[in-house]
Amino acid sequence: MRKLLVAALVILSSLWLSSNTMAETKELRVLLANHPYGDLLKAAIPEFETATGIKVNAESLQEGQLTTKLTTEFATKSSSVDVFMTRPLQEGKMFYKNGWYEPLPGFDFSDYPKNVMSVATFGPKSYLVPLVTEWQVLYYRKDVLKDAGLKVPENFTELEATAKKINSDSLAGFASRGKGAAAVTQLSSYVYNYGGLYLDNGVAVFDAKPAVDAIRFYGKMLGNFGPKGVTSMSWENIMPLFQAGKIAMWTDASVFYGQVVDPAKTQVAAENVGIANFPAGPKMNSPFIVTSWGIALAKQSKNKELAMKFLEWATSKELAAKGMLSNITMARSSVWEDKAILAKINPGLVETRAYAAKNGNPLDRPYMSAVGEARDLIGELVIESINTKGESVSLEKMAKEKVAKVNEILQDTGEYGK
Amino acid sequence: MSQSSFTERNLHILFPLPAIIFVAMLMVFPVLYTLFLSLTNWNLTSGAPLSFVGLKSYARVLTEPRFLHALTRTFVFTFFAVAIEGVLGVAIALILNRAFVGKSVAKLLLLLPLVATPVAVGIVFNLFFDPTTGLANYILTSVGLPQGLWISSAASVLPSLIIVDVWQWTPMITLIVLAGLAGLSNEPVEAAHVDGASEWQILRYVTIPMLMPVILTAMILRLIDALKTFDIIFAMTGGGPGYASETLNIMAYKYSFEYFRMGQSSVILVVLFLVVFGCSLGIMKLRTSSEI
Amino acid sequence: MNKKLLSNILFYLIVIAIACIVLFPFLWMLVSSFKTQVDIISWPPKFFFTPTLQNYQKVFEEQDFLKYFLNSTIVGVVAVGFSLVLGLPAAYSIARFTQKKLSVFILLARLMPGISFLVPWYIVFSRLNLMDSYLALILSHMLIALPIVVWIMSTYFNTIPREMEESAMVDGATRQYAFFAIILPLSGPGIITATTLSFIFSWNNFMFSQVLSMEKTKTLPIAVYNFLSYAEVDWGGVMAAAVAIMTPAIILTMIFQKYVVKGLTMGAVKG
Repeated sequence: MRKLLVAALVILSSLWLSSNTMAETKELRVLLANHPYGDLLKAAIPEFETATGIKVNAESLQEGQLTTKLTTEFATKSSSVDVFMTRPLQEGKMFYKNGWYEPLPGFDFSDYPKNVMSVATFGPKSYLVPLVTEWQVLYYRKDVLKDAGLKVPENFTELEATAKKINSDSLAGFASRGKGAAAVTQLSSYVYNYGGLYLDNGVAVFDAKPAVDAIRFYGKMLGNFGPKGVTSMSWENIMPLFQAGKIAMWTDASVFYGQVVDPAKTQVAAENVGIANFPAGPKMNSPFIVTSWGIALAKQSKNKELAMKFLEWATSKELAAKGMLSNITMARSSVWEDKAILAKINPGLVETRAYAAKNGNPLDRPYMSAVGEARDLIGELVIESINTKGESVSLEKMAKEKVAKVNEILQDTGEYGK
Repeated sequence: MSQSSFTERNLHILFPLPAIIFVAMLMVFPVLYTLFLSLTNWNLTSGAPLSFVGLKSYARVLTEPRFLHALTRTFVFTFFAVAIEGVLGVAIALILNRAFVGKSVAKLLLLLPLVATPVAVGIVFNLFFDPTTGLANYILTSVGLPQGLWISSAASVLPSLIIVDVWQWTPMITLIVLAGLAGLSNEPVEAAHVDGASEWQILRYVTIPMLMPVILTAMILRLIDALKTFDIIFAMTGGGPGYASETLNIMAYKYSFEYFRMGQSSVILVVLFLVVFGCSLGIMKLRTSSEI
Repeated sequence: MNKKLLSNILFYLIVIAIACIVLFPFLWMLVSSFKTQVDIISWPPKFFFTPTLQNYQKVFEEQDFLKYFLNSTIVGVVAVGFSLVLGLPAAYSIARFTQKKLSVFILLARLMPGISFLVPWYIVFSRLNLMDSYLALILSHMLIALPIVVWIMSTYFNTIPREMEESAMVDGATRQYAFFAIILPLSGPGIITATTLSFIFSWNNFMFSQVLSMEKTKTLPIAVYNFLSYAEVDWGGVMAAAVAIMTPAIILTMIFQKYVVKGLTMGAVKG
């Protein structure tokens, strides 16, 4: 027995030692997202290692898990992360408030548009480098519209009429995310185009008429013309349906374009897939154009100099150009002006980006620390509206309740009215 | 010599001691810490330091409609899943309780769902239940039934998840009851035959009562796990659509790792533990009384 | 006679129906893992198609599945090994000294919601600099394996007559000697049962590994779940990954079928 115990102790302690042998070599721990740009970085890291002699331990995580892991590590003051990819709109405020981002005074931000920088900056300092930009577009089936003798809808009235005309048992006229919280980002452009907002200066206002009208319209469109079971669908459920040729029109972020024209993944011929500007609403046309991903230094990093080196490399123009060529819509302005790059990019992406950059809104969700909870609350409205095809009699009342709830959360986190 | 006798005298302490220390080390701190957190307002989204608020988090969570729904849903899911598994499991065991060609193959098949990785099972059923391209609706259509929305609608998501749970865990009850049947003595059944009882009467008044302790134990095991079901729901719906499949475990996960309301999440976990503990205790009582 | 034949036919029909329902998801998973994305999402579902190996290629070449495979194996084997070291004497003690309270204490680990362990463990393990170490994962998986070992083995020891070690003790042997020299060698079948079952439960664990493991120690269930990544749903890849993760557990089950059934039923039937 004692021998067994001794053996066990020896093995345990040797395991511990082996885990502690992270020697004094120059090492960085980097957390990346399971995102095309994260994959691109991961594949390129060996080049960085040979060029600098720094060993990089990179790890890729699905976006929700990435937020969870970073938060848990930082909050328990146990993190060994040096550099990490981050979603400024989802976690930026919370990370900033908790002091988890290291400010980046030495970084040259001149290549990034002002509206892009607005979510990377708190007070006088900037805390993260934007990587990827996304904006909302309309994907549509050219062949279907052509056969029906219809043109691409440019406003909500046309969108509804077109969807109604082409909707059939085997083809959903229209799709967009319906899965509660996941739908909130895609709903945002509808809200803006009706003249509404989620938050106005730190106060929830989505119970005002324009926002509620937008939610009704969204519910009407999806309830009448959406695919079956749309209230449980995020992009990961809608995209395969679009690829299977079961959806005629789909509003979602521009990132998916590469996927829907990839012949290995889709049954619809690439020449039949169209991409167009998001349709205008009754008040305006201001689709979201957001910094979906950025990269930042961890405040508690013990290797800030090395970490900065990595960050400079990961945000370099060369890698941005590489990203563009693999259909990733990068945040740097210069790559969108480079003729050699533009020649290889789908013109639809270039045009819709130009439009959104000029008219768009830099937020696609309530911009607050407790955004996860707020999204769930707004998501309840989306589901109610879809289930009633936009006819719900209690939507106004529900919206008031949810607004009160979100305002309560804003007060809890000290962000109300700011 | 004297040392050896010391060891021997205290063997009943020394033998289990390492296991006790280990379990205590891994469990005691988390339990105390969870209790402690449930009395605080620790909330990462506020950026404020943790402070002690007494029972305030309890008051807030326990009166929240969302929590009450999750609590009811946890019971509904568990009750129907375990009840169906119990009835089906016992029935299948009674059917299979005879010698037949291929019995060992049948038993092996029954084992497979039990050892299948739940997360992977959930993902496979997701593909199966997809309302537009899934096989489930194809089968319904080809036998002339209307298509369903399965996990995509609030009305049918819980039954669909129960189907998956029943698929995976009914075999466990079957195997346990089969083993129980094999251990039963034949005399009472034969005596009943001699007395002219019908097959049904024998089943109802002789076999099932004799099996009751075994059935109840199997149900306790299932009950504990069903109340805490996580992997399948997490992988299939994440609690959706809306909150339509959110059980206490899923809600606690969301509060901890999506809302970062650690204090309130701990309240949910404390309640969940009490529920699991209470239910197991209740059934164990039931079993002891059925044995008398 | 005719009635008997009829009831026999009915019986086999029922057995076949049960077998089909049980097997069906496995078969569909297997079939889908050989389909291209286009075939998977087509309607009506395709039963005949040109099979492709690209999903498996992706799983094993691009995703480094072998590493996750190895991680799951290391964690499972070591956790089960230590659980046996700690659990066998404890189970013996519970069986021979009828320590009911002790068995309840160890089974408490099964009653606790797993999520309540996660944040506290995170804090402790990171203070000890054990994040992303095999040790942290192994310790957490031991909390799954140990109650199974204790549960199964205490029942098993109860089936061994006390006379076995008592006669040795009359001859002057100590009880601990009797345990190691007489009881353990008799316990092979019980140990196989406990080992197989606790290994499978460790293999399938998702929750603990999801929070405690990182790139270096990532286990298979996490890798499968991660297949659903940003901007891409690769159903074929997911199905191939699901096949890959389930195969070892199924093979183990086939080899140790008898023992697994015993393990699952033992506590319930005797207890």
